[in-house]
Amino acid sequence: MPSHPLRVAVVCSSNQNRSMEAHNILSKRGFDVRSFGTGSHVKLPGPAPDKPNVYDFKITYEQMYNDLVRKDKELYTQNGILHMLDRNKRIKARPERFQSCKDQFDLVITCEERVYDQVLEELNSREQETFQPVHVINVDIQDNHEEATLGAFLICELCQCIQHTDDMENEMDELLQEFEEKSGRPFLHTVCFY
Amino acid sequence: MASEDGEGPELTSSGDADTAMIDMTTSEKVVDLLNQAALRTTENKLVDLKQVQELIINKDPSLLDNFLDEIIAFQTDKSMEVRKFVIGFIEEACKRDNELLLKLIANLNMLLKDESVNVVKKAILTLTQLYKVALQWLMRSKVVSDMQEACWDMVTQMKEEVLAMLDSDNDGIRTHAIKFTESVIITLSPRTPDSDVPKKQEGDISLDKIPRDHSYIRYDTLCEEGKAALDKLLKFMVHPAISSINLTTALGSLATLARQRPMFMSEVVQAYETLHANLPPTLAKSQVSSVRKNLKLHLVAVLRHQSSLEFLAQISTLLLDLGMNQNDINRCTPAPQTQRKRTHAEPFHEGKKKIKIETTLMEDDEDKEEPAPALAPKPVAVPPTQSAIDVTADFLFPLLTPDNVANLVLISMVYLPNVMPASFQATYTPVESAGTEAQIKHLARLMATQITSAGLGPGVEQLKAREEDPNKDAGAGEGTSEDVGSAKDPIIKRKVSAVSLGQAISVLGGYSGKSLTSQSDDVPQTKRLPEPIVPSVQAKSASSSGRKKVFRLADVVQPLNEAQMAKLTSSAVQRILKAEKAIARSGMSQVRVKLLARLATQFEGAMKQDVLEFILGDIRNRSDLAFALLYQEYNIYLSQQPGSSMDGYEYCLFTLLSGLQEKPEQRDGLFTKLVLEAPLITESALEVIRRYCEDETRVYLGMTTLKELILKRPSRQFQYLHVLLDLSSHEKEAVRTSALSFIKRMYEKDQLRDYIERFALNYMQLLVHPNPPSMFFGADKDIEIASPWTEETVMQCLYLYLTLLPLNHKLVHELAAVYTEAIADIKRSVLRVIEQPIRGMGMSSPELLLLVENCPKGAETLVTRCLNILTEKVAPSPELVERVRDLYHKRVADIRFLIPVINGLEKTEVIQALPKLIKLNPTVVKEVFNRLLCAQHGEGGSSVSPVTPSELLIALHNIDSTKCDMKSIIKATNLCFAEKNVYTSEVLAVVMQQLMEQSPLPMLLMRTVLQSLTMYPRLGGFVMNILSRLITKKVWKYPRVWEGFVRCCQRTKPQSFSVLLQLPAAQLNSMFDRCPEMREPLLQHVHSLTPHQQAHIPSSLMAVLEADNKEPEPEEPMEEPEVHRPQRTISPQQVEEPPAMLRSPEPMRVQYPPSVEEPQEPMQIATPGPPAQEEPDLPVSQQEEVMEHEQRSSPVSPKQEVENPTQEALPEHSNEEERANEPSEQNTMETDTHTVDE
Repeated sequence: MPSHPLRVAVVCSSNQNRSMEAHNILSKRGFDVRSFGTGSHVKLPGPAPDKPNVYDFKITYEQMYNDLVRKDKELYTQNGILHMLDRNKRIKARPERFQSCKDQFDLVITCEERVYDQVLEELNSREQETFQPVHVINVDIQDNHEEATLGAFLICELCQCIQHTDDMENEMDELLQEFEEKSGRPFLHTVCFY
Repeated sequence: MASEDGEGPELTSSGDADTAMIDMTTSEKVVDLLNQAALRTTENKLVDLKQVQELIINKDPSLLDNFLDEIIAFQTDKSMEVRKFVIGFIEEACKRDNELLLKLIANLNMLLKDESVNVVKKAILTLTQLYKVALQWLMRSKVVSDMQEACWDMVTQMKEEVLAMLDSDNDGIRTHAIKFTESVIITLSPRTPDSDVPKKQEGDISLDKIPRDHSYIRYDTLCEEGKAALDKLLKFMVHPAISSINLTTALGSLATLARQRPMFMSEVVQAYETLHANLPPTLAKSQVSSVRKNLKLHLVAVLRHQSSLEFLAQISTLLLDLGMNQNDINRCTPAPQTQRKRTHAEPFHEGKKKIKIETTLMEDDEDKEEPAPALAPKPVAVPPTQSAIDVTADFLFPLLTPDNVANLVLISMVYLPNVMPASFQATYTPVESAGTEAQIKHLARLMATQITSAGLGPGVEQLKAREEDPNKDAGAGEGTSEDVGSAKDPIIKRKVSAVSLGQAISVLGGYSGKSLTSQSDDVPQTKRLPEPIVPSVQAKSASSSGRKKVFRLADVVQPLNEAQMAKLTSSAVQRILKAEKAIARSGMSQVRVKLLARLATQFEGAMKQDVLEFILGDIRNRSDLAFALLYQEYNIYLSQQPGSSMDGYEYCLFTLLSGLQEKPEQRDGLFTKLVLEAPLITESALEVIRRYCEDETRVYLGMTTLKELILKRPSRQFQYLHVLLDLSSHEKEAVRTSALSFIKRMYEKDQLRDYIERFALNYMQLLVHPNPPSMFFGADKDIEIASPWTEETVMQCLYLYLTLLPLNHKLVHELAAVYTEAIADIKRSVLRVIEQPIRGMGMSSPELLLLVENCPKGAETLVTRCLNILTEKVAPSPELVERVRDLYHKRVADIRFLIPVINGLEKTEVIQALPKLIKLNPTVVKEVFNRLLCAQHGEGGSSVSPVTPSELLIALHNIDSTKCDMKSIIKATNLCFAEKNVYTSEVLAVVMQQLMEQSPLPMLLMRTVLQSLTMYPRLGGFVMNILSRLITKKVWKYPRVWEGFVRCCQRTKPQSFSVLLQLPAAQLNSMFDRCPEMREPLLQHVHSLTPHQQAHIPSSLMAVLEADNKEPEPEEPMEEPEVHRPQRTISPQQVEEPPAMLRSPEPMRVQYPPSVEEPQEPMQIATPGPPAQEEPDLPVSQQEEVMEHEQRSSPVSPKQEVENPTQEALPEHSNEEERANEPSEQNTMETDTHTVDE
């Protein structure tokens, strides 16, 4: 078992629902975890599918919360967005963009293939220096509250298993295959270097 | 520097925590941190070490050299995090000061072979950096020293080792090795103008910066190495069972290579093609998609590079297959700037050719360039770098007619598996452009890739022909390729039947609509295929040498004689030994090591010696040989069992270990490693380890090793433990203390505890013998066994025990048992040494309390000593007091038990005990009083004495003289008087007053009065009052007191005259009997009074006064009335005043206002000169006071206290001594001057 805790990053597109749900659970289980979004903006559902609420990554969860309360408290209470934002602001102040974070991780978990691609593209476009490896794993999770919760548990279980391996890199392949079988979802997995 | 960013925050946070360190110099800080780190847990250790790194690398690099060894010593730490830290440190240090590579590279090499994969990985990462650093460093130095050469050789060797790790069993290590390979290839190839150069690596070294005339580094060699590395990487990639992560990594590395070294673009694109068509069958479905995703990503990255234009066709076909649409591809394609491309391409090719001329780096490509046009004069534009695949593809293209293809499909249907493979399913994309020329070209290329990777096809054939006969012209090459060309179809089938069905068919599938003509003889050919073509080539070469004359060895050689043989063998081995560097450069060090080990063990005698000497010549770098040899010897020993001797093994181990011991400076833990990795530790080896431990400079390393042995070789741990235990009584202190500290740690282990304890107790048990056992003096020294115990020998028996005692309090009972049996000398030593451990145990220790409670017979002094130690600085706890009281009352009524806890006793108990206490040895009595009186001041700790000073002094006066002789009491009171701090004039006044009010009067009352007067002359007035009061109490009834009264009056004349005049006539007379010289002055005093006063003097008194005076008789009656009158006026003042004064609570304040003298009193202790008092004995008493003060402040020196422990145990003894010491003191009424003087 590696003696330092895994540095994990969970990434979805807006750093609101899926990554935050996982962030929440993982941090409760004692992981050194951070969460990110890869989108250019933070998007939250609006009154109609074609009218999303779009925010900059600089806006805090608190501000979004207040903004939505002001706009239509009932709607956003009912669809759970306010509840989600309330949870998020207790975890950290604002969403973070993966592309702007230069910290190093051992493991990056993405929540959909598009995000996985963006993460890979970002990591590969950086200049490699230390060659410290980072494993990127994609776990497809639909962007709704229920799936986010289920997905977060899956991610958590995965992280725990990885944390408990004696030699993470050597056992990762097998572990992922087992997980694929168990969960019935395919995982994309690759390694990048810092 | 990277470390600054990473470690800055940690530094500040821990720096804040340790504010105490602010004032130290950096060097001190480092020392402090290192010491601290050695003892800490892993986490804290890392924090400390990182701080050290920050300090000595960034803050004050001048310290780097000083502390290098200390930090590197952590490379053998148990925690892999710490070892990883050391690696990181090596990297930073070497980057900071390249010269350090000389020292540190070997350490990195060691860590590269660490047992933990994570450490190895870290070492690989670091080597990736340091490889470049080392090369750059060598480039810079004009003259390369031997050391540098060796260093570079080692770096090269390590590089080879890491490259070899591509075959490691561990996935992660392989991944790291791939990245390392990538970096090596980049470094060992020239940077060209069209190279992408990452900003951060702009300053990095690459082949083009290496001067061709460098004194040590050969441009060609490096170039070769780079090429070899690339080959390795390419070979690695086509391994059929490569893991998905390795594959991903390799794909990325290739992309990097293509962008940074466009000269490799062709190889890279080819490799991508091959891979795409031959995805490893072992990959699972999701892994296939991951790999394809990566492939796409990296292809796009390559495509974006300017130099990819040549390969646009291949790349875009691949991308189309991977599901990217044409528009996206176009978007990623660099604008075809023909002009620029040409100018770029020219130098690129020139550069390439230059290399080729000198080396064979690009040989493959070069060879194909020329034959290609001749072979394929088709409309296809031949790219300048045409590979075997290109050749074969061109060859295939015209053959792929619809009929042929249809037949191929039909034939291969037979080999399709029943279930569609996952990889096929994942990668299958319907072929959109089926049947177009581009598609057919692509298909031809795919097939060509397969054929070429199987080592077949015209392209490969041509290449071989080239290699076999470079002089062959292009035409011949063409012929060969056409001959072999017919073999291509079977090859495809073999491939299909073997593994990668899915990929082969994925492309063909799209073609099913078309038909191709098939060659009719294809099917039968498939059967004989398992042998590839290679054998036929061999057969050809064999036949070419077939007609030579048969060579027989026996015909041409003569058998050698013994001596020759021995000489040749030996020189052969010598050559192998000397070829160290050359072989290392060629990467065959492992073989050499193995060979030497075998040879040395097979041949006895000188050769073995030679090899061992060679190893010891530079053991750091030759440790692998050392280990190989050792294991080989052990192997031989095992294989010859049973009944074999292990002499060879033992000799080898012994020589190596002793050799290491003789090395002057050796800190890299090789010794430890050797010991720990040796399969068996023999007696002689253990002896060397012991010697190591006895060497003061290496004691730590030696003992660490021994400790590891004990912990890691449980089967013989007691044997090793015994050595360590033996060392615990070593005569060198450094050895002993570290042995003890190691044992202390061992003692925490349950399985060792018993043994250690038994050993310690056995050793202590030796103390009961009348003489020390001979083993203390070593077996070789023939010393009389009957020599007496000395301080040292006693200590030798006790070191271990005393170390364990604080850890296990139960052991204290054993000490008591031994103590009772031991002789007096030993007892004395024991009492001296137990101070520290006992204090460590503390008075709350239940075992210690139990000891006090039980107090074995004969151990009374031990118990007393313990009590003394415990209470020296701390007030006795109620439990302790209780035990002691119990002991005293129920079992051993020795008053000395009570002394240490005296301040915990009740007041009445103290007073009861006083008579016994003051009879003790004067030193002891002094100690008792110190305790009682110091506690009063709060000086002796937090305890409060149960008696006040005045109570104590009064109690002394009231001691029943039947219980205690007067002399002891006097001495005791003198001790009180000596405490001028405590017994101030106020205290003494209270004492005197209370004593005087007692009835009967205490015997020593007047003595105390006199003494007080001597000490404080200003008490005179008060004393006069006392005297008058005594007259009213008829003092003359107590003969002793009366005597004192007289003395006092004598002393205080003329002040006392008025008192004397109050005496009844008879008593005055008796007084004059005692001291007739008083009469005359008194008479004169009376005469000097006013007549009125004289009138008050009774005539009877006058009669007594003038008894001897005949002449003035007539005057008497005349004077009498005069005397009487003043007496009346005075007497109210003198007689009535005192009672009033005594009744008031603060009498002294009235009579002696705290004038100048009062505040000075406490200071008198310090002032050396005599103060304003005129008494002759004062300086003396002051001195004593100072002395006592010193004793108190340096709490009762143990020596003084223990001087006569045995005598203390026997009270008669002490009394005798007392008597002998103070024979002069006979008169109880001796004045203070005498007693104080004593």
